[in-house]
Amino acid sequence: MKRKGSGYFILKAIPAVILLLILFLVPLALIFSYAFQDGGKAILNVLEDNYTYYLLSFTVKQAFLSALISVIAALPFSAFFSAYSFPLRKTILTIAQLAFTIPTILVVLGFVIWYGNNGFLNNALRSVLGVSYTPLPILYSFKAIILAHVYLNFPIAFALITARWTQLPPTEENASYTLGQGKAKTFLFITLPRLSGSIASAFILIFLFCFSSFAIVMVLGGNPAYSTLETEIYRRVHVNADLSSAAALSLFAFAVNALLLALTTPGRKERKNERQARVLKKAKGMKLAQAVVLSLIILAFVIPPIASIAVRAFYTKDGIFSLSAWEGIAGRGFGLIGGSVNAAINSLAIGLVTAFLSVWMGSAIATASAKRNSKLLPFITSLPMATGSVMMGLGFIFVTSFIFTKLGIRSYYLSFLFVAAAHLIIVLPFSVRTITPGARAIPDSLSNAAYTLGASYGKTYRSVESPLLRPYRRKAFAFSFALSLGEVNATLMLSSGHVETIPVLIYRMIGSYDYQGAAALGTVLLATALAVFAIGEARWRKDAIL
Amino acid sequence: MPFFEIRNIEKKYKEFTLSLSLSIEEGEFLSIIGPSGSGKSTLLSLIAGIESPDSGEMLMDGRDITKEKIQKRGISMVFQDFSLFPSMNVEKNIQFGMKEKDKAKRKELSDKLLEIVGLKDYGKRNVSAISGGEAQRVALARAIASEPRMILFDEPLSALDPPLRKHLRAIIRSIHDSLGITVLYVTHDIEEAFAVSDRIAVMQGGSIVTVKEAEDLYRNPENLFTAFFTGEGTSLPAHLLFDNTDAYAFFRPESAEIVEDSISEDMYPRHIILSDCRVISAEYTGSHYMLGLTYKDYPVLVESSRKPKKADVSVKIPKDSILLLR
Repeated sequence: MKRKGSGYFILKAIPAVILLLILFLVPLALIFSYAFQDGGKAILNVLEDNYTYYLLSFTVKQAFLSALISVIAALPFSAFFSAYSFPLRKTILTIAQLAFTIPTILVVLGFVIWYGNNGFLNNALRSVLGVSYTPLPILYSFKAIILAHVYLNFPIAFALITARWTQLPPTEENASYTLGQGKAKTFLFITLPRLSGSIASAFILIFLFCFSSFAIVMVLGGNPAYSTLETEIYRRVHVNADLSSAAALSLFAFAVNALLLALTTPGRKERKNERQARVLKKAKGMKLAQAVVLSLIILAFVIPPIASIAVRAFYTKDGIFSLSAWEGIAGRGFGLIGGSVNAAINSLAIGLVTAFLSVWMGSAIATASAKRNSKLLPFITSLPMATGSVMMGLGFIFVTSFIFTKLGIRSYYLSFLFVAAAHLIIVLPFSVRTITPGARAIPDSLSNAAYTLGASYGKTYRSVESPLLRPYRRKAFAFSFALSLGEVNATLMLSSGHVETIPVLIYRMIGSYDYQGAAALGTVLLATALAVFAIGEARWRKDAIL
Repeated sequence: MPFFEIRNIEKKYKEFTLSLSLSIEEGEFLSIIGPSGSGKSTLLSLIAGIESPDSGEMLMDGRDITKEKIQKRGISMVFQDFSLFPSMNVEKNIQFGMKEKDKAKRKELSDKLLEIVGLKDYGKRNVSAISGGEAQRVALARAIASEPRMILFDEPLSALDPPLRKHLRAIIRSIHDSLGITVLYVTHDIEEAFAVSDRIAVMQGGSIVTVKEAEDLYRNPENLFTAFFTGEGTSLPAHLLFDNTDAYAFFRPESAEIVEDSISEDMYPRHIILSDCRVISAEYTGSHYMLGLTYKDYPVLVESSRKPKKADVSVKIPKDSILLLR
């Protein structure tokens, strides 16, 4: 049902929706025009090319496996964490949630440094086992792609499923036990169906994320055989310089992605809040030991690749302690690292612009959507999710090239704005999704009480509703800033030498084997992302009304 | 002309239609009672302007307010969940809808209202740090502060415990009496409605079935629904007691009396005698026994000061307390 004042909020959201549509539709229209030039030759070629279907099948295969393994791996951990309380339980859950904000490029870098043939893990194993070969040859293979995806997404599955499981009161399970059923049967027939919504949500989210994965496949796959639709689009632009073919492949990926989104949306139902959450049992004796083991497994999986970045920043490839990378970052270095300060300024500036705009647009769209109970607005906002960030980058390449060549306007600031615009379109769906639950949670009676007291829609929004949205906006700001800070796909597509950000610089340093420099810069990026996460999370817990 | 009048208003939903007329006098305290889903809260939403009717009109002082904006109606509302604004303290909540612009006067008025509702010195408190009863008093003060012409109460006390409910309903009524403000009060608690109202309207299935003063409503309900909704009673097919009628004979338990000795109708010409009743249950309520009996397989409720010793008894009911209802 529509809420009172929905017309006012729709009007208020119109500028944000127009901006969203311009930023989304203009690049998309240019992609269409490139794909369909010469009578649609490029699109026909893509559709007739067997390689397209190979790319699609590989993309689906790696996304499916990554999602499946992440979810299955998360289940036993979630079962324990939703049943028992023990020291540091919340800390472990928070660490798991870090994955939401850790930039993908850091996972790539961490994997190279930790799991690489000359990485910390293999070096340690070589000294322990006394061998000269690589004991765990993980990198540059299919399993590296899957492992990195699981690394990035296991915590998401773990956090989502645990959160839901903790909310489920154990009454139905207890009823099953009192009817004489065992734990296995009770889990299969009672618990699992109750969890199916959150399991499906986690699976779909991870699948869609891995479907558009770029940097992980590009660097850790290390082999053209392991190409996804996204990496192939990048190759066609930057290696083959075949923009029409890249545009055609983009449209193909967009169609598949949109189809997947449409197919999976009905599965993502709104969560029903249980009236009574489960009371966690205190882990004692064997259960406490089990808690320690499970926590250590999570920490041993999550921490080393990321921690190794910070360690590697202080050591050369020969293992000698050196601060050279840090000096380089400080502006006294040559080559790629010499651009660190500039990249940091760019990253921060783009991150701030993106976060401010995404929170403004996100608030307007989320409030209007909640007031109107609109299905159209969330759909429009989620459209960029169907494109993938590489495609958005490609679209903005076309926009840039159109403005540079056709209109003859050339400016560094314009390039900067286009990168920020691409980031904005990529992070906006997340911002809207973060704020919408807050807007929906505002009781109608609260707004109606203000209206019956004579307050206008504007005054009610400013004095009553907006303060309640503040924690959601703050979280959306932190989330958007962190996502923009770590964004590499679209930026890499767009910034052919124009606008360098920290993740792009790290990507290039990995490519030129300057791991210490990449690690030092990665440490800066990690520290910033963690700080933003911590601020958003701390204030969130304090203020959120849910 | 009534102060507030609803003329043939209609609001259609998928499985429910609200259709009614109603009038309220200035300064009146009118309660609306009815079962869940009868349309009480919908009616308040239409009057407040939260929802719009499909047809019909609403007049206040002769002025048509049907299409008037919610903010301009001069009708404030007190909600079941208090709906205090969490971003403001108690004082700011009360001052939110005030028309007075002068800061000192606003403060003076909010202090005065807090005193009226028994919350002196609560002004600076956080609304999340006060109890439910206190919160509802703040909501009441806030509603009054906006100087409305009418206040709507939507089950304002249902979230509170019974002793507090009794205390607060007395406060609401005394504030109404001292300010003379028109009140429309929705409740599902019959006792509450009887205690505070000048008149009571009973709703059923989106319509108003009757509007009466409390005592009249209880003693002379117009139909079986109202009779049972406003209190306990017994309905028997009237042909069992009277000739030539297909209505139902209704009486309250306190009107009937059980007799353990054998009696005949000749002994009590002004009464109806139900012979051969059987006592099925005897529940002690604290002040009396509520006896459950059967008469020709029909259930009968009788109030008694003592527990009967015999299972087979007679019941005598004054004829003038029996209503013929449908």
